[in-house]
Amino acid sequence: MSSIQGSDIRKVVVACDAGMGSSVLLTSQLSRSLSPHGVSVEHSPVDRIPEGADVVVCHAGLVDRARKRVPDTVVIGFQMFMGDPAFTRLEQAVRDGSTLAE
Amino acid sequence: MTTQQSSALASVRSGIQRFGGFLASMVMPNIGAFIAWGLITALFIPDGWWPNEHLAQLVDPMIGYLLPLLIGYTGGHLVHDKRGGVVGAIATVGVIVSADIPMFLGAMVIGPLTAYLLKRFDALVQPRIRPGFEMLVNNFSAGILGGIMAVVGLYAIGPVVTVVARWLGNGVQFLIDLSLLPLVSVLVEPAKVLFLNNAINHGVLSPLGVARVAEEGQAIEFLIETSPGPGLGILLACLCFGPRVSRATAPGAIVIHFLGGIHEIYFPYILAQPKLILAAIGGGMSGLATFLVLGAGLVATPSPGSIIALMAVTPRGEHLAVLAGVAVGTAVSFVLASLLLGFGRAERRARREEEAEQATENQESTS
Repeated sequence: MSSIQGSDIRKVVVACDAGMGSSVLLTSQLSRSLSPHGVSVEHSPVDRIPEGADVVVCHAGLVDRARKRVPDTVVIGFQMFMGDPAFTRLEQAVRDGSTLAE
Repeated sequence: MTTQQSSALASVRSGIQRFGGFLASMVMPNIGAFIAWGLITALFIPDGWWPNEHLAQLVDPMIGYLLPLLIGYTGGHLVHDKRGGVVGAIATVGVIVSADIPMFLGAMVIGPLTAYLLKRFDALVQPRIRPGFEMLVNNFSAGILGGIMAVVGLYAIGPVVTVVARWLGNGVQFLIDLSLLPLVSVLVEPAKVLFLNNAINHGVLSPLGVARVAEEGQAIEFLIETSPGPGLGILLACLCFGPRVSRATAPGAIVIHFLGGIHEIYFPYILAQPKLILAAIGGGMSGLATFLVLGAGLVATPSPGSIIALMAVTPRGEHLAVLAGVAVGTAVSFVLASLLLGFGRAERRARREEEAEQATENQESTS
């Protein structure tokens, strides 16, 4: 179980299968709430997550593949594309600098 | 099921996802080119909107050369960066020339394969190159290997892939001839929800569809996975009868799914209530049956699977047929999903109990 301090989060990567559809949708949503805190949000295919991501966000069905790609990074899985508690947790951690665990 | 079994199942699933994702990732970055080709075809071929012989000359080189070369380049690029892309494209020419059908599957095989061979060669040789000879060795190794693989593609890989592609195409044709095509929904809809949607559509169906378009001018294969009907029906049912959580998010999801074409958005609604997959299958089957009966087809793969993209790549005069299939798929999956959700009965009961509980609590606090 890896975890990260919210204040250490600088780069969030949203991953989906192709890195072109749902991840782009979430990237624009998340960056609206996270970029005011100096956190950049990018999207990528789940098998090509770039180095240097502090937190990876992807659907629960893709978490295994994300872990295989970046074993040492915090991977947050979500169920719903809208209004999932996982996004709230991430936003809260960034805002308060609190600990974000998987 | 034991945990061991389920983890084995999960690793099989992520393995299939990865392989399919690899196939899809060769095609998806190039969809702009597919759309350009689809639009030019729909506009300028003899029975298009503005038939124009001069401009219709663009059609064949695009489908025959541009698209396979882009796929071969992208496949090589995925394996071994720009150098891999270049040799992948060189080798793809071999499979293109070997066949009289658009060589998508061949490009998907030979592009990454050639790049992999170059990658192995580079790993072996590059550390041993004498300083100053890097450029010479790198350029000629890519050129020679690419050239050899183009010949291999022409004589070996191309003919084999042509046979395989024929079999697959004949399989689909067989299903169409016997009016059994709707049965593929039994496989396609559950696989979609497991995030194999891109793998199925871009890895399997769109290469088959492109081959059919080259022969017949349109293809039903493009409609199998991309019709937004079944997903829309499920979202509408969730909007009317679903649990309160999904009711709140469904309107936004409907816009993103139906107009934006991002089908992933409805998968979680099914994953949360797996019985809804039956509604997706029913919607998919009835939609496909409608497409089949009305002879609907598209000229290119609509990606993303938005109704707008579907309409844009529908050949002239077929719009009603395509819309009818989408509408039937939506209606059937909506009715089935509503039935499966008990028309919200379970949800109403839960709320009544909650209210009753609150009422008793209120009474207790006031008394």
